[in-house]
Amino acid sequence: MSILKMLWRNLWGGSRTMRFPLKPQETPGFRGLVRFDPTLCTGCAICKFRCTARAIEFKGGKGEFTWSYDPGQCTFCGRCVEGCKTHALHQIAECPPVYTTVGELKESHTLARKPPAPRPAPAVQPAAEKQTANPAPEAAQ
Amino acid sequence: MNMTTALARLLIFPGVLFAVPAAWFFLWVERKAVAMMQGRIGPPFMQPFYDFIKLLGKNTPPREGVSGLLMRLWPLIAVSAAAGAVGLLPVLPASGGFEGDLILLLALLELPSMCIVAAGFSSRSIFGEIGSAREAALSVSYNVVFLLAVVSIAASQHTFRLEALAHLPATPLQFLGVAAILICLPAKLHLNPFSLPNAEQEIYSGPMTEYAGPELAMWELSHGLEWVAATGLVATLAAPHLTTWWLAALVFVALSFGIVLLLSAVASATARLAIDTTVRFYWQCTLIFAVLAVASALFLRFRS
Repeated sequence: MSILKMLWRNLWGGSRTMRFPLKPQETPGFRGLVRFDPTLCTGCAICKFRCTARAIEFKGGKGEFTWSYDPGQCTFCGRCVEGCKTHALHQIAECPPVYTTVGELKESHTLARKPPAPRPAPAVQPAAEKQTANPAPEAAQ
Repeated sequence: MNMTTALARLLIFPGVLFAVPAAWFFLWVERKAVAMMQGRIGPPFMQPFYDFIKLLGKNTPPREGVSGLLMRLWPLIAVSAAAGAVGLLPVLPASGGFEGDLILLLALLELPSMCIVAAGFSSRSIFGEIGSAREAALSVSYNVVFLLAVVSIAASQHTFRLEALAHLPATPLQFLGVAAILICLPAKLHLNPFSLPNAEQEIYSGPMTEYAGPELAMWELSHGLEWVAATGLVATLAAPHLTTWWLAALVFVALSFGIVLLLSAVASATARLAIDTTVRFYWQCTLIFAVLAVASALFLRFRS
C-alpha cells in the first residue's frame, strides 16, 4: 500500500521535470563543452595524450601545430583541462548541440609555435657563500 | 438499423469522427496520469495528435525479405476493427443496434490483438516474433475470463443486444462481470503489469519493432481506439439507465474517464510480470470466475 501513498503524494506534489525549453539548474562544477584559448596554448600536446576518447587531435609541424576538438566524441571527463599547465583549456556548462553527421561539430585551430622562453641566467653566487661552500683546505684538516 | 444510420454511427458518432479525437484524448489522459503519478510533467494536451501527424509525414524504410503489403494491411485492419467496435457502442439512449451486436463487438475488439500477432510474425524480427508469441499466449489466457464475463452478463439479462444490456437494471452478476472485465483490460490494452507483448526494455516494442512512419501511426491510432472501445464497453455495462440523452452521454464519458484513470494508476503502481506468472494469474482468475458464474447462472435458473 505504500506505493499507493507514493502515487498520491506524487499526484499532488508537483512534477520534478519541466517542459522544454526550460532546463534544470546546473550544479556547480558541471562538466560540459571544452573551450580552447589559443593565446595560452604552448602546443605541448599533453591534452591529446590525456584524452582517452580521442576527441582531441594534435598535429605538430615545423613552426606551427594544429589542435582539433570534436565534441561529438568527447566524454566530458575533464582530464584534458586538469592536465593543461597553461590553463588554455576550460569547461563550460553547455552541452553539445544536436548533430547529424559525424565530425560536424569538430573545431580546429592552427597556431604558430611560440619561441621557447629564454632560459633564466644562472644566478651569480656571492663570494662569501662560495667560500662557505668550498672551505679552505687548512680548516678541513 | 438501416444503412444510413449504420454509416452515420460508423463514420460520425460514436464512430470515426468522434472516436479518433477521443482516442487521442484517452491516450493523452493515460500518459499524463502515469506521468503525474511518477512525479513527471507529462506530455502536452496535443501530443498524441502531433505524434500521429509527425509519423504520417515520415517515410517507411525499406525492409528486405518482408512483405510490404502485409505490413501495411495489419494496422489498417486493426484500425478498421477498433473503429467499428466504437461505432457499435450505445453511447446515446435509443441509439439503435441489433440483436447480437455484442458478439460482433467482441469479435471486433479481438481483431486488433490478432493483427498484432500476425504483424509481429510478418515482420520477421526476432523481437517481433517474441512479442507476438507473448501476445498470443496472453490473449488465450485473458480472453477466457473476458468472454466468460461478457457472456455471463448477457445470459443473465437474456439478451445479446448492447442497447438492451445498457437499459436493463443491473444484477449482482453484472457487477461481478464488470469486475472481471476490468481485470482483463490491462492485458487487452498492454498496460502494466501485463505489458509483456511490447515490453520496451526487453524486446524493444515487440511486434511494433519493425514499424515506422504511417504504419506505426495507424497502430497508435488503433491502440487509442481500443482504449475508447474497451472503456466504453465497461461504461455501457456499468452505467445506470438514464433517459436524458445529455446526462447519459455525460455519465458515459465520466465513467470512461474514471476507468482510464484507474487503469493508469494500476499501470503506475505495478511492475511488469513474467509471462508464466501472467498466464497463471489469468487461469486462476478464470477458475474462480467460472465457478462463480456457473453457480450464479444455476441459482438464477432454479429461482426463476
